[in-house]
Amino acid sequence: MVLRIAIGGAVVLIGLALGGARLWWLARLIRSGSPAPGRTKGALRRSWAELAEVLGQRKLLRRRQSGIPHALTFWGFIILLFTVIEAFGDVFSSKRFAIPGIGHSPVLGFLEDLFAVVVLLAVISFVVIRLVDSPARRERRSRFYGSHTGAAWVTLTLIALVMITLLGYRAAQTNTGDFPYGSWAFASHAIGGWLAPLGRGTNSVIETTLLLCNVAVIMGFLVFVTYSKHLHIFLAPMNVGLSRRPRALGALEVTDGGSGARTIEQLSWKHLLDFATCTECGRCQAACPAWNTNKPLSPKLLVMGLRDHLFTSAPRLLAAGHGASRGSALTSSNGASSAEGKVVGQSRGSSDAPAAPALVPDVISPDVIWACTTCGACVEQCPVDIEHVDTIVDIRRGLVNDGKMEASVQQVLENIAQQGNSFGKSGRMRARWVRELGFPVKDARKEPVRYLWFVGDFASFDERILELSRTLAHVLHDADVDFGLLYEGERNAGNDVRRIGEEGLFEMLVEHNMSTLNGAQFESIFTTDPHSLNTLRNEYPAYGLDKPVLHYSQLLQELLESTAITVKPLGTRVTYHDPCYLARHNRITEAPRKVLHALGCELVEMPRHGLNTFCCGAGGGRIWMSDDPALGERPSENRIREAVALGVDTFVVACPKDFAMYSDAVKTTGHEPDLRVVDLVELVATALETATLAAVSGS
Amino acid sequence: MRILVLMRQLPDLVEELEISSEGTDIDRELVKFVMNEFDDQALEEALLLKESSGAEVVVVALDEPDVDQALYTAIAKGADRAVKLTGVSNERWMSTHERAAILAPYVEESAADLVLTGVQAADDLDGQLAGVLAGLLGLPHAAVVVGVELKDSTVLVTQELGGGRSVDEEIDLPAVLGLQAARQAPRYAPISKIRQVTQAGGIEEVAAHTPPEASATAISLRRLYVPERSGHAEMLEGTPGEVAERIAEILRSRGLVKG
Amino acid sequence: MSNDILVLAEHDGQAVSDITFELLGAARRLASGSGGQVAVALVGGAGLTGTLGAASTVYVVDGTSGAIYSPEVFEKAFLGVLKEADPRLVLTGTSTMGIDVAGALSVAWPAPVVSYVVGLEAEGTELVATSQIYGGKLMAEVAIGGPHAICAVIAGSFPADAGRSDGTPEVREVAVAGLDSARTTPRGVHEPDTSGVDIAAAEVLVSVGRGIGGKENLEVVQELADALGAPLAASRPITDQGWLPKPQQVGKSGKKVKPRAYLAFGISGAPEHLEGMRDAELIIACNTDPNAPIFDVAHYGTTADLFDLAPELAEKLGS
Repeated sequence: MVLRIAIGGAVVLIGLALGGARLWWLARLIRSGSPAPGRTKGALRRSWAELAEVLGQRKLLRRRQSGIPHALTFWGFIILLFTVIEAFGDVFSSKRFAIPGIGHSPVLGFLEDLFAVVVLLAVISFVVIRLVDSPARRERRSRFYGSHTGAAWVTLTLIALVMITLLGYRAAQTNTGDFPYGSWAFASHAIGGWLAPLGRGTNSVIETTLLLCNVAVIMGFLVFVTYSKHLHIFLAPMNVGLSRRPRALGALEVTDGGSGARTIEQLSWKHLLDFATCTECGRCQAACPAWNTNKPLSPKLLVMGLRDHLFTSAPRLLAAGHGASRGSALTSSNGASSAEGKVVGQSRGSSDAPAAPALVPDVISPDVIWACTTCGACVEQCPVDIEHVDTIVDIRRGLVNDGKMEASVQQVLENIAQQGNSFGKSGRMRARWVRELGFPVKDARKEPVRYLWFVGDFASFDERILELSRTLAHVLHDADVDFGLLYEGERNAGNDVRRIGEEGLFEMLVEHNMSTLNGAQFESIFTTDPHSLNTLRNEYPAYGLDKPVLHYSQLLQELLESTAITVKPLGTRVTYHDPCYLARHNRITEAPRKVLHALGCELVEMPRHGLNTFCCGAGGGRIWMSDDPALGERPSENRIREAVALGVDTFVVACPKDFAMYSDAVKTTGHEPDLRVVDLVELVATALETATLAAVSGS
Repeated sequence: MRILVLMRQLPDLVEELEISSEGTDIDRELVKFVMNEFDDQALEEALLLKESSGAEVVVVALDEPDVDQALYTAIAKGADRAVKLTGVSNERWMSTHERAAILAPYVEESAADLVLTGVQAADDLDGQLAGVLAGLLGLPHAAVVVGVELKDSTVLVTQELGGGRSVDEEIDLPAVLGLQAARQAPRYAPISKIRQVTQAGGIEEVAAHTPPEASATAISLRRLYVPERSGHAEMLEGTPGEVAERIAEILRSRGLVKG
Repeated sequence: MSNDILVLAEHDGQAVSDITFELLGAARRLASGSGGQVAVALVGGAGLTGTLGAASTVYVVDGTSGAIYSPEVFEKAFLGVLKEADPRLVLTGTSTMGIDVAGALSVAWPAPVVSYVVGLEAEGTELVATSQIYGGKLMAEVAIGGPHAICAVIAGSFPADAGRSDGTPEVREVAVAGLDSARTTPRGVHEPDTSGVDIAAAEVLVSVGRGIGGKENLEVVQELADALGAPLAASRPITDQGWLPKPQQVGKSGKKVKPRAYLAFGISGAPEHLEGMRDAELIIACNTDPNAPIFDVAHYGTTADLFDLAPELAEKLGS
């Protein structure tokens, strides 16, 4: 008995010391990050997130195959916490130790046995999943590609060992007479039945051995967890609790005035916590449009790379203490006359501190950072609420502030700064498309309107898309909708500018647009462009915009439902592509579907739809960057193939950039003859019963 | 080592240009002004020279529409000082000779070792600045410069001669160079930095010397007009497929398609 | 005041450049109306006088230590000739040499300069120069009434053939002092890189401009070029970015080309580019901007998207 206490005690102490030291080290490391304000506001919302995402395993359960076994394992471990307490009690106090207040209820005995068996089955299903989706065989297509698979196998083995030793010592106890539970603990009794012939003496040895092994495996697991990706057991509840709510989509997080992160010191502590929390599950990678079209970016590998860099930078970060980082970065960007660009890679702290490597290119290749479309699929998928897009854009800000970007992006930023539009066309030509309408469109700066149409660059300047703008104008005009434009007072809304990382230009655009908006009279804004919608709706309020912002699909839905426009059913079989910035970032998925329904279209959904939509590849400024054709298909081409497989002939879009991207993609994939890319408003115009509009849409 | 970069504003050619009622100038009310793109090349080359040699870069411009923006942008990119020469009318077209006559005394006083400016400007109807200014100052000069390397008391210059030929020459300092292209594309100045710089102020305003009457070199501009479209292309309409078919036919009919 | 016209010659040591013949042609036409003489100023290249038969006098300045070009030396040499010949009008190109010397000579001689000239006409005793300014968006009409003037003419504005005639003009050597003490020392000439494709020799050229967007997109036009068996050419922004090698640049600072067909994709048509390709037999231009100046010189044009058109065309030509 003394030996049993001694061995058990030693194991526990060593385990706690090792695990505790590691956790303390991690805590200090993460706290060395720069500030991330507002991370504890909204306790109610945060508590709900804990309940839904941690206890309820909400995001994990979206992927049933792995989600169900994971949820069972998670819940199993909560139940099995009781067996851990019991095992420790058995070691240190007395045999037949009972948890005060619960005692040896037969229900507890049953649940403990049940979950021990369930977790073992779950482990088997994990093994199957990992073998089927093996990165060795499936390479990039495997969501485990690049993950630490060795650690994963160790973890599965340790979990299995916890369960086996648990059931083992409990089974032996049924034969030594020490087992406190009756027949409800079905598994212990069943195994006990097999062990019974070995005799009471042997069973007693088995009991002590396996009990100590159980405690040892648990402590070993605890220590292993703190050194591996299984750290999420401890960190996921924290990360979920401290994440942006309701989600890290929509508005971007801007810390410290948008000066950007050039070194790990300048990333916020929340992002450092993100890196430490990552479980390497690869759900982000499987959903990422960049990764799926052979681009160098995987959100998972990015986070893992940054985590490795965080850990190797630990001596420097811990030596420097925290809080000193971001401020000095600002000084460097203030020092306009100093030789800029050379600052990166040099230490910003005290002069004797070791140099901080630049995140780009020392740690991450610039291709990785620029490959992101900011579509948010990774953020949407991540079961532990890592905020990939915020991190990527923060790193982009650092690059842009140092003038490091593709020539084509620089050109576009200069166009927007100079002319107010990405096309580099004269700002005075912005509303030229209304000239051919045949009726006047109100100038909202001069007379009050109910709806202010914020047109956006593509719908104003792209020859193909301004045709769609005209169609929408005709539809609204015929429905007697009171709408107006800002004419040349409108400038690029700045959504993509901000996501490229040009925070200063974004602010300049917002200030200009807000001063125009403040001089206009309107009740609400609508736009066809989900990107403009996103920033107007989620980011402009911080600059004083207090009017509702609608997508034209919502306006069309309203008009159809109020019978302001009446249509004849089209009877077409269509599929609909959810724009990322509409569906994922702004949760608008129903309105366009209701419009399609009202038009009598039969909607055939693509496998990736709604919140799980697949990006066309244009977001986050990608539309202005070049794709290397050597890397294979573009996201838009991948998407067209997905749609073609459904056997529909009409691909409906509700975003100007989508129209451009997919009109190109049907050509480059050779599907132009069998798949027609149409905008939602074209369908509405076709379905209208008035002859004039049928003529318009047909032209 | 002090490098002067002479910059100027030009109407943004993205805009439609309209001719004023007198017919000898553009309507300046309506146009937006931007920095001459070649001056931007000169600035970039100066900044590269500063990075390699530690020279001081001073940008100099006349008081022209939106010039502050251009000067602050230059500071944001790394220029050490920005000078605005004030007191000259900025509401009409100014000839290169007038411009040079205003700049010459300043350049002389500033004790510059090297003067860089753009090879040309969209409206320098009476010649290009580098040559005229150098003529006034009696300095050696070169235009269409695509390479600049500073030596101790000379500068090694590469000039493009056209047809893919270029010539290297070593020019004694001080000298005036008209830049065609810097060694690398002009850098980007993030707006936040331009705003910081703008808030800090720091444009030095210097009263410009009044230029002497220079009738011997003045040109007499009779009128401006929009060119008639002489031979406009026959436009091919239709879908890209149809247009491609027409072009293929045209090429085939002339025997230009192999096989 | 004479009515003589002096052309500042350009040459590469082997031959006199086209621009000089173009200017000679224009000078002959003007001089025949005004009764003046046509002369040429030639710095270096004394062996080339035989091709300058369109002029009655060739002023030759030597003593340039064999240098092919040096702005300061040429400027001083030309000034020496100007003092001696005292012409009414000096013609030069808006070439590197023209840009270099016109401004400095106008101060030293002195005389007004008119740059970017595309037309020269006599109106009584006055001359009227027409220039292209604001990137070709506007034309300027300038009266030349004084005793002296310098015009820098855009290449391709006048036919070169009118100025090409062999003969034996009077050759007058002009000694200019101080050429040796120049503050500019020539360090060598880089001849064009002829290792790659020779776009000047191609029968068909597929040329790309800024509209291509990125280096990666060149593949689209490369396929078309392959289908035509034509090399790729480009406007200045493309070679400046390093997306195509410099020897493939068409235009003022690149090569002048005269292919049987020139297909321009995403080229807006800056005057400097047009200068290098306007003599192509057939020009087909693709640009989404219907107002692009390239359409003024093209025979056929389309506003189709080049990314749509080029693959379609490659397919139609490949089959």
